[in-house]
Parts: sequence; structure tokens; C-alpha cells
Amino acid sequence: MITESLKLEKLNRKEALRYLGYSGEKLDKTIEHLIDICEEKVLTSAKPRYVYKVCNIMTTESEINKNHGIMVEGCNLVLTGESIKKHLKGCDMAVLMAVTLSDSIDRLIRITQVEDMAKAVIVDSLSSVAVEQVCDKVEHMIRQAYPDKYQTFRFGIGYGDLSILLQKDFLNALNAPKRIGLNVNASCMLTPTKSVTAIIGLSDNPIEKTARGCQTCNMREQCNIRQKGGHCNG
Amino acid sequence: MAKDFKALLEREYIVLDGAMGTMLQAAGMKIGEIPEILNIENPQLLISIHEKYLNAGADILYTNTFGANSYKLLDCGYGVEELVIAGVENARKAVENVKPEALVALDIGPIGQLLEPTGTLCFEEAYEMYAEIVEAGSKAGADVIVFETMTDLLDIKAAVLAAKEHSSLPIMCTMTFESNMRTFTGCMIPSMALTLKGLGVDALGVNCSLGPKELEPVIEELSKWSDKPLIVKPNAGLPDPKTNEYNVTAVQFAEYMKDLRKYGIKIFGGCCGTNPEFIEALSNMLKVNGNKVTKQKPTIPAAICSATKVVSVTEPRIIGERINPTGKKLFKEALVKGDIDYILNQALEQVQAGADILDVNVGLPGIDEKEMMITVVKALQSIVDVPLQIDSTIPEVLDAALRVYNGKPIVNSVNGEEESLNTILPLVKKYGAAVVGLTLDKDGIPKKAEDRFVIAKKIVDRAVQFGIPREDVYIDCLTLTASAEQEGVVETLKAVNRVKTELGLKTVLGVSNISFGLPNRVLVNHIFLTMALENGLDLPIINPNIEEMTGAVRAFKLLKGYDKNSVDFIRHYAGKTVSKIVVDSPKAVDNVNAEATLNIDVNSMHESKLEGDKLKLYSAVLSGLKKEGADYTAKLLEQVEAMEVINEVLIPALDKIGDDFEKGTLFLPQLIMSASVAQSAFEVIKNYMANSNAAPVSKGKIVIATVKGDVHDIGKNIVKVLLENYGYEVIDLGKDVPYQKVVDAIIEHDAKLVGLSALMTTTLVSMKETIQLIHDNHLDCKIMVGGAVLTPEYAEEIHADFYSKDAKESVDIAKKVLG
Repeated sequence: MITESLKLEKLNRKEALRYLGYSGEKLDKTIEHLIDICEEKVLTSAKPRYVYKVCNIMTTESEINKNHGIMVEGCNLVLTGESIKKHLKGCDMAVLMAVTLSDSIDRLIRITQVEDMAKAVIVDSLSSVAVEQVCDKVEHMIRQAYPDKYQTFRFGIGYGDLSILLQKDFLNALNAPKRIGLNVNASCMLTPTKSVTAIIGLSDNPIEKTARGCQTCNMREQCNIRQKGGHCNG
Repeated sequence: MAKDFKALLEREYIVLDGAMGTMLQAAGMKIGEIPEILNIENPQLLISIHEKYLNAGADILYTNTFGANSYKLLDCGYGVEELVIAGVENARKAVENVKPEALVALDIGPIGQLLEPTGTLCFEEAYEMYAEIVEAGSKAGADVIVFETMTDLLDIKAAVLAAKEHSSLPIMCTMTFESNMRTFTGCMIPSMALTLKGLGVDALGVNCSLGPKELEPVIEELSKWSDKPLIVKPNAGLPDPKTNEYNVTAVQFAEYMKDLRKYGIKIFGGCCGTNPEFIEALSNMLKVNGNKVTKQKPTIPAAICSATKVVSVTEPRIIGERINPTGKKLFKEALVKGDIDYILNQALEQVQAGADILDVNVGLPGIDEKEMMITVVKALQSIVDVPLQIDSTIPEVLDAALRVYNGKPIVNSVNGEEESLNTILPLVKKYGAAVVGLTLDKDGIPKKAEDRFVIAKKIVDRAVQFGIPREDVYIDCLTLTASAEQEGVVETLKAVNRVKTELGLKTVLGVSNISFGLPNRVLVNHIFLTMALENGLDLPIINPNIEEMTGAVRAFKLLKGYDKNSVDFIRHYAGKTVSKIVVDSPKAVDNVNAEATLNIDVNSMHESKLEGDKLKLYSAVLSGLKKEGADYTAKLLEQVEAMEVINEVLIPALDKIGDDFEKGTLFLPQLIMSASVAQSAFEVIKNYMANSNAAPVSKGKIVIATVKGDVHDIGKNIVKVLLENYGYEVIDLGKDVPYQKVVDAIIEHDAKLVGLSALMTTTLVSMKETIQLIHDNHLDCKIMVGGAVLTPEYAEEIHADFYSKDAKESVDIAKKVLG
């Protein structure tokens, strides 16, 4: 199990703007300035922490066992549903990862909401981008640690038909509450809120490109980006 | 009969056990399984692990009950009580078998859910969960209670109160700090030390996260802030990234621990990765070397704190006085309406202006002061770091606020009357607060300094009798009004001086009262403030938003050498022109030359058909210029009626912005920026109306809430801003709102529209339940719903009246329902 804190230097503003429904119109100076301020605030407040663990996996097909799904070795965790099965097809190992920007970002969002809602939505959006960037970094580290393995994309808990109710067990398998201070509440919401949990498959063979995106995404009916004809690649 | 932990503390050192999880995993337990189940299913395993630790030299065993709370044990097939009792019994058996003089510590870890405001678990629920474990553990015969691996100061406070109120056992506490000297939730080391000492725990320290070497700076800092017996229970170093093995051997562990003795540690043990071998090495090291390292008890400064900020009263500190409804119409209105954001704004403004501490008074006839105080304290500590001064005349209100306060606060106040001393001081003692002592008694405020001094002495003596440290008593010698009792000014200053020099106590003084009834109050106030500071005033209670007042304190600190090398002063004033006094009346902005600052292309606004100041205000809203918006509103109010400003300028401007947003030519932050301008314009209008006693402007009431279980409330808050800007009165119930509370609010405010938001599929259920309850109560109130995962179809299915795809649409719905 690997846990660490890391630092972000710069945020992907373009992506943050896209989350906010921006579609390319010219930005005025006031907004630009506001984004500068918000980016700095997010970078100073975020305390990115991550934990990941690489486990052997095994698919159990027994019909008798109602928990049939993908067993994660050494953990009390079975990943159920068709989507994760498809995602991990051909993989012999899986990386369980959890990332959080920590409580300080929730606090920053609370403060800016009182100060200025415009700032708050930008901070919120930049934080969402920041946590994804931390995930990218972790993913990169995993790639370096396993240079001989092929790697799938990050599959989030709650994505497709992988139940969000697994969230608590998933965090326990990583000992995430103790390691990085990441918890769930009774509604399976991650707290601190700017956090991500995901599964990456590792395989000795090249991984078939599966369609990641709108078809399997739970948000497809409501997604702003999709409604505007875009794609988030996530 | 529990064995005597306090007697054990008389020893030179105490050895704890090592890791339990590590041992259980070595015995085959999978990660993620519930270890406490083994207490019943495999007691022999537990007893043998305990015995190994006793044989290795442990004087105290931690029971295998770290996660034995009702949240973590949910659905595991066993209850809290049975697993806790079995856990204690296993440890007891091992003690009887191997080392009868050893103690059994009931081990309790965090619940596993974050507390409010980031999480949804509330203080009271956490308290109940801890109480359940404590009761079971004491019943089973534990000798001492230990809370460990805690990261949230408020969480550990709930735990300690539960232990104190449900058992008489001694309490040990350890929190987990990272290498940045903070816990995950940002709690600082001195905050932990001050707060836990105040709550009366018997020993405190650190465990987990790091190895003994890495923990050294943490322990060094802690030793400066605590005179309680110190506990250190580090991990076996850091885990190796590849193998996951800890990198410190038992021998190295003992060596590092040897070095740590210089910080005056009393209780030594091991956390993750340690095993009986480590404890044996540790125990042998202590046997051979002893623990006679003499470390002087630290001199801990008079200080108060929040979890994330410590304010030591070693130099003048500003207490902000603005959170107080006395004489403030808008504040009273906000309290009546439950408008917490108004109060939060007051807090942020004062902190930005330089307040070190905030006084919090929410007493108003006709409101439930206790509930309001709890709400406000919780809300304040969710956004400001500065410690709070809890200000109420009602002991129940103080008690309630002291319970939920995250840190060590000040209580305002006690006085020399017997009844006051006997009711307030026990509360101060119980919760470990500091207290303001007013030098008055049943005969009122003495005229002479000597008599006030006598009362001050009486208060501090009584406080000490109650077990409150002297340095936690701050004396208020009381400011009288100079215009009425001119000779009293000198008496107050004389009393301050004597209390400071002769009693050696910290002093506090409400300053603003001095100038009551005089012209140029600010001048009188700040000269008096300077005089009082020179006479030994430590804690001036002032309006920090008035630059002259805050500036006087800064200049005083510079001239007296508190502000070393004038760093703070220069940071505040270098290169800045000092602004004039800000008074919150619309008249004050009259002389601002708004034309000069309004830098927008008025030609682009030709479609609005407005002219003059109306056009300028309209333009300011469209351009997102907040200050200008407020300025032009104030100007307009002198020319036309408030409703005209709203209907002819603000609403059309917002409509234009809304249309552009819908068309996609504007994006969310721009929409909100314009809304914020309108909001500041509304503030000016509200102020104006309040000052001219006109009826407030409202187009109808709307209750909004983020449903139970859901903590993502930013969408709901955007909706609130927009609705308010269209003149609707929004009753914002916040996030994670229980179903019944929504129904109650609709009834109480007779609201005709309610807005509910939910972000997750798991919380849509709560939305459905809330709607069901509204319908069950046959309320004449339309329901609109919104949130990321919601669809129009689902909204219909759960019997909502309207689906709102974004904030803009919620305004359209409000117009439809309320006009």
C-alpha cells in the first residue's frame, strides 16, 4: 500500500471552464482575474493525498454465490456488475486507488460561498479539476512502477453498474480513512467531497480499447457537456 | 474495582502494547474485515496476542475495540455492547493469566465518518455512539479509557465528554499528526493540548501515521504546550512502497524512543507495524536507561484556540464585537429569519479587518437563543479560524455553545455575584474555557477602582477554587460612559492597571461604550483605547471594521515592541492609502465618485431604454461591478422609490443576464457575478428601508434545502442568490436537512414554494421521502427539484411539481408560482 501527499503546480483552467459551461466565448478581464485568484486559493488550500494498492484479482463465476464478481485478493472486497467485469477483462491485477484534496478544500468552498458565489463556483470547478489532476499523477506513478504492464483507464466506483454502495468497503480495503482521511457518509458520498475512488486494471497483454464515455456513463442524460455536443473523456 | 491509573502515573514510565491490526493480519485476517468480531469468534487468538504483549513488558493493554461503534459494526451480525464486553474480557483474562497488576484500557477509535460540516455526522450523534461504547466498556471492567488515532478535535471532544458523562474512568487521548504538524482535518498540536487539558483528560499524546524518528518535531511541539503526562505510540517507521513492510526494526525503534525521552514522555507504546518484539525492546531500553530525564514543566502562555488557530494572550488581541444584535435592526431581522449567512458575513468582515477573536451574542427576545447559538457557533467554526467568545447571560445557552465549540473558547461572562459565580464557573471548568470576569456584583458597578479590584480578586479566587487556572480568568473592569460619568474614566483605567500589575491577570474591556452620547465617537474611542492599552489592557472588545481602532492596536503593538521589526504594521500599511471610516449607511457612499470608476461601454446598453443613474446601475449589474452597483443604488434611492429601482432596473438587468446565460453567450460565473451585484444593490435597499422604517421588500417566501444525507450544496446556494435577487425571501435550511425540518419550515413561514436539491443517486431517495412527507401533510406548497442526477421524468415520478434544470429556471418557476 502506498500513501503519500503530493503537490500540484498548475490547474487545467480550460477544463474547469468547461465544467462551468464555458464554450469558447472571449473571457473578460474581470473573469480572468477572478480565475487567477481562485486558482491560487485552490493551490494553496488543497492538501492532495493519495493511497493505492495493487492486488491480484480473480473472477468468480459461481451462480450459487450471490456475491459473484471480481474478488480482490487479500481484501474483503468483491467487485460486482457487468461494467467492471468488462473493464477488467484480461487483467490479472487491479490497482485500487483513492485520492482526496482534503478537508481544507471543503472549507475553502464554504468560505467563498459566503464571500462571493461567483468565486465559489470557480473554486468548486477548479477543485474538481485538481482532484482529477492528482489522479493523473497517481496513474502516471503506477505506470512507472509497473512498466511491463498494460493499464486500463480509471474506472470510478459508482460508474456503470458498479454499485456506489461499495464505497465504504472499497475505502476500508485501502484503509483510506486512516491513511488519507477519506471517508464516506451514510449516503455513500465521499467526504471530504473533492475526492475520487477508482480501479485500474493491469494486464500483460495490450488492452482492447473499450468505449469509455457517454454510453456507459450514469450522467449521460443530465450531462451539460454532452447536451452541448461535447465529450468529457472521463 | 478498576485499577488505579493515576497511581500508575506516579511511576517513572509506563509501557503500552503494540499494534493489534498488524498481529491480526499476520494471523490471517483480511484487510477490510471487522477485527472486533474475533473477540467473540476467536477469543483465544486475542488472549494470546494480549499475553504476548504482557510478556514483552506492557503495563497497559488496549482492548480489541478500536472500531467497535454502531456505524462500523452495522450489519456485521453483532452488537456494540457484546463485542466491547468480549473485548474487555479477553484482555482481562490475559492480565489474570500473565500479569495481574497490568491495566486494561478500553480502546476507542474514530467513528469512521467525518463530522459536520464536511461530513454529515453531527456532534450529538458522535457523542451518542461514543457513549454506547464507554458504557459497555466500563460495565465490563476496563480500568481506563483511551481514545486514539483521532484527527478531528471536535470528534475527540465529543468522545471525551461522552466518557466523562458516562463513566468515572480516567481518560487517555492520542491524536494522529502528519509531518506538516497537523492532523488530516488541520488540527494543530497546541489546539489539541489546550482543549484536552481544559476538558480534564489524564494523559495525552500522539499515535500512528509516522515512525518515532519522524514524530520527533510533533512531540517536541506538544511538550511545549502540555504539562499532562505525555503518550507516544508511533508506527514502526514508514511503510516501504514496494513491499509494504515497515522500515524500522525493533532495536532501532527502541533507540529512537530512547532519544524521545528528553521531551518528558511518560507513556510509551507502539502502533501500526509494531509487535511484541518491539515492545520488549522498548521495555528493555526503559529498564536499562530509566526515564529520569528531567525536563522542566513548560510555561504555557494564557491562550485560547480553535482547532486550527491558537491565540495566545501575550500581547493585545482584538475581540470583534459585531456579532451582537443590540441596536442593530438588520442583525435582529437576520436572527428572526434565521439568516445565518448575514452573521457569517459579519464574521468574515471582522476577521479580514483584523479581529483575533470574535464575540458571539445572539440573544433576542422571541427567538430560541440556545438553538440559535448552537447553529451560529457551528456555522462560524465551519468558515473562520479565529477563536470565539461565547456571550450570553443564560447558563443553558453557554452550556450548549461550550459543548459544540471546537477548541478552547472564552465565556462572556461571570461577575462577582454569588449566583453568577456558582452557575458560570462550573461550566467554565467543565468545558475548559477561559472566562471574562466583570467587576460588578449585586450592588452594581463600584465607582472606585479599589472596589472593582476587590471584586476582580474575589472572582479569580473563586475560579481557582473551582479548579480553573488563574491565567484563564480575564478581568473586565468595565467602561462607563464619559459623557455621563467623566470621573469614572480614570477609575476604569486605574482598575485595569491594578488588576494587571497586582493580580497578574489578563484584562478585557468593551471600549465603544466610552463615547456614548458624544459627537465624533471614533476619536474618543480610539484615544481611550490607546490609554487603556498603555494601562495594561490585553483584550479590547471593539469594532475592528473601524480602521482607527484596529490601527491604534497595530500602532501600539509596534511602539511597544510586540510587533518585532514592525513586520505586521508594514504588511498592513506599506504602500496603502488609509481608507476613511466605513459606516454602513447608504448616505456614506454618496460622495464616492462612481462615474470615475464605472468603466463600461454604456452604448452597448442602448436596448434597455434607461438613462441617467438607472442606466448606470443597469450597466453595473450587467458588467458584474459590485461596488458601483451599490453606489448607484444608493444614489437612485434618493431620487425614486425602492420598488422602482427593483422593477425597472434590477429585474430587467437580471432578466437580460438570464437570457444570455440561456443562450450560452454568458457562462455561470458571469451570471453569478451579475447576481452578486444585484445582491449588493438589494443590501443597500434593505438598509435604506430599515433606516426609514419602511416595510421590507418581498415577493414571497421560498424554502430551499439540500436533502438529508447530501452535503453538496453549491447548486442550491446559486439558486438562493438568484431567487433573492428577484426579490423573493429565501429561507435557506442548508444541507443534509431532515425531512421534517423542511415540512416545519414550510408551515412556519407559510411558504408557497419549496426547492429541494440532491446531487447523488443515493440521496434522491431522501428527496422522494421529503416530498412524500410534504404531501402527507397536505401542504399548499409547490415543490421544485433540481440536482445533477435528476431528470424531468424522475421529478415527475416522485411527485415534484417542477423540475428545474438550472438556477435560471428556478427563477422562472418562482415567477410562475409566486408572480
